[in-house]
Amino acid sequence: MKKMMFLLLATVFMLSACSSNSGSGASSDPAKKEITVWAWDPNFNIAALNLAKERYMAKHPDVKINIVENAQADIVQKLNTGLNSGTTKGLPNIVLIEDYRSQNFLQAYPDAFRDMSDSIKGTDFADYKAGPTSYNGKQYGVPFDSGVTGMYVRTDYLKEAGYTPEDMQDIDWDKFIEIGKAVKAKTGKDMLTQDPNDLGLIRAMIQSAGSWYLKEDGKTPNIAGNAALKEAMENYKAMFDANIVKTNSDWSQFLAAFNSGAVASVPTGNWITPSIKAEASQSGKWAVVPFPKLKDTPNSVHASNIGGSSWYVMNVDGQDTAADFMKETFGSDKELYQDMLNKIGIIGTLKSASSGSAYDKADEFFGGQKIYADFAKWTTEVPNVNYGLHTYAIEDIMTVEVQNYLAGKDIDSVLNDVQAQAEAQLK
Amino acid sequence: MKAAQPQSKFGPRFKAGLTGWLFIAIAVLMICAFYFYPMIQALILSFQTGTGSNLKFNGIDNYARLFTDDMFLTAVKNTFIYLIFQVPLMVVLALFISVLLNNPRLRFKGFFRTAIFLPCITSLVAYSVVFKYLFSSDGLVNALLLKLHLIGAPIEWIADPFWAKVTIIIAITWRWTGYNMIFYLSGLQNIDNSIYEAARIDGASAIRQFFSITIPMLKPIILFTSITSTIGTLQLFDEVVNITKGGPGNATTSISQYIYNLSFKYSADFGYAATVSYSIVIMIIILAFIQFRVAGDRNE
Repeated sequence: MKKMMFLLLATVFMLSACSSNSGSGASSDPAKKEITVWAWDPNFNIAALNLAKERYMAKHPDVKINIVENAQADIVQKLNTGLNSGTTKGLPNIVLIEDYRSQNFLQAYPDAFRDMSDSIKGTDFADYKAGPTSYNGKQYGVPFDSGVTGMYVRTDYLKEAGYTPEDMQDIDWDKFIEIGKAVKAKTGKDMLTQDPNDLGLIRAMIQSAGSWYLKEDGKTPNIAGNAALKEAMENYKAMFDANIVKTNSDWSQFLAAFNSGAVASVPTGNWITPSIKAEASQSGKWAVVPFPKLKDTPNSVHASNIGGSSWYVMNVDGQDTAADFMKETFGSDKELYQDMLNKIGIIGTLKSASSGSAYDKADEFFGGQKIYADFAKWTTEVPNVNYGLHTYAIEDIMTVEVQNYLAGKDIDSVLNDVQAQAEAQLK
Repeated sequence: MKAAQPQSKFGPRFKAGLTGWLFIAIAVLMICAFYFYPMIQALILSFQTGTGSNLKFNGIDNYARLFTDDMFLTAVKNTFIYLIFQVPLMVVLALFISVLLNNPRLRFKGFFRTAIFLPCITSLVAYSVVFKYLFSSDGLVNALLLKLHLIGAPIEWIADPFWAKVTIIIAITWRWTGYNMIFYLSGLQNIDNSIYEAARIDGASAIRQFFSITIPMLKPIILFTSITSTIGTLQLFDEVVNITKGGPGNATTSISQYIYNLSFKYSADFGYAATVSYSIVIMIIILAFIQFRVAGDRNE
């Protein structure tokens, strides 16, 4: 009987010991020499991290840097559950966050991220990165991948249709559709491929005019009466109506569409370059032209951004080491940026590193075009917008209504309905 | 002698009871810590609002919001479409297959039973990915149908709102029919063969035997499988996320996927996500109650 009692007490004690652990685990050691970094995409972000690690370790052999690859969705999930549970155990020192989502984290967990103002200057980076990476006047993120857009085109298909890449310099979307129709008529190939569940193209179109789904405050839906969005959607529909769009339903079909030669252009971020070049047999057949602009929206430019990301240092043990790592690598090391461009094709957003031999390199895959110099130039032109908190929530509402719009619903009632739904839902 | 003097108010019966409690104490504690504590926490959370860890109480606002939230209502509608078509379809199919496989004259019984049961031990994600490719517009299913001249043009299984739902229903039926079949098989083996013999002597046809003996005798098991299937369908997540991602538009989004979106895809609204979770609890309670009323025995 006593043994039983003892067993019971022991169990109770063990359980309570388990649960009270988390509160007292804040032994702070900001200068801890071992740090962990989370990122996604082994061919892009992880590859960049490895280059940075190599360069940093040469100067600081006492620091240990662990690089962990996670899918982006997993990072979002782990960060949210970790931060929400109130324990920072198991979280990394540095994490990569997509710009569209960064304000969610900065505003939802204000104490979780380290203010980097003492290590880097926000103004050293491309201006449009300021919106996503700072909050309340403080610079939290270290801006990284530019996500600058371009229009990748197949020169051989254009030629068959009677056009050259020169004809696509500084055009608007009307002209793009006109060329697309000619390409379809002459070659039978679609002009571009789109996943109806991913409105990235519309996002890029409206950012090219300095507009977004939300108003400046990052919270109020800005759908009804948003002229840029209206024009972007009209262009989007016009492409479908012109029958120049091949639909895809996921990433691998998206890649297959241009690797197999089924489409004549890919309007997206510069991070697609390695995937375009993955099909070596198409070498010399591609060119990159400026992103088309919105015709009737006055401040639209030939540059935009899609899906860039930035680094964030977390307030956990080793934060000073992590901040120093960021400061010496992505925050200032121009040679690192040359390396990243040469070896991986990454275009960063550090202003002082946006020139140099790597940018002047002619790429034979793109017919000898200096595409990186072009992208670097466009990076400086991208309008700054506040992505705010609800990009993906609004986009889920939008995808349904965009389908209705494509099926014939009137544009103004589409926008009004999205506005009403967004207002009801985003409280 | 000892028995004559009452030692204390803790008599032997109480002691026996205490020993029993001690035996299950660890399990009870674990269940309280890992089941009931999170449930209560989630209930408290469902009355709070805010992003991430900035939470504040806002009474029943979250529950009121459910009724004006179009995306939630779409998710509920989708889930109920799955429920209404898929659960009866699967129950009937499982019943039919189990009766065939229970035939004593059938050869290779073990093989067929294994083959039909196998889908439900495959990984949810793995089979979803395979289904996605089978049903893609240039996938095997379309190729087959085109070859057989059953269709003129490829069906957009994933990209069309109607066919996307059909694809999900086909997928979950494939995955779970074998699971339910096992319950029916074990039920069928508990029905005394002499009942069927007697029926045959009385001249009852096979169909008559099925409806007048098999179904009534299996009633508790049918009730059990329909309730577990209902619960399973209301919690549907993996298939929808991996096959259609909830699209096109929100045409296939399930309630569980909406909970995931609220927590992780949008702006970390854990309070409202907990509210949606509790709405599933309430729906399951109501549906199980109805099913018990319709199918349950009165003397139970």
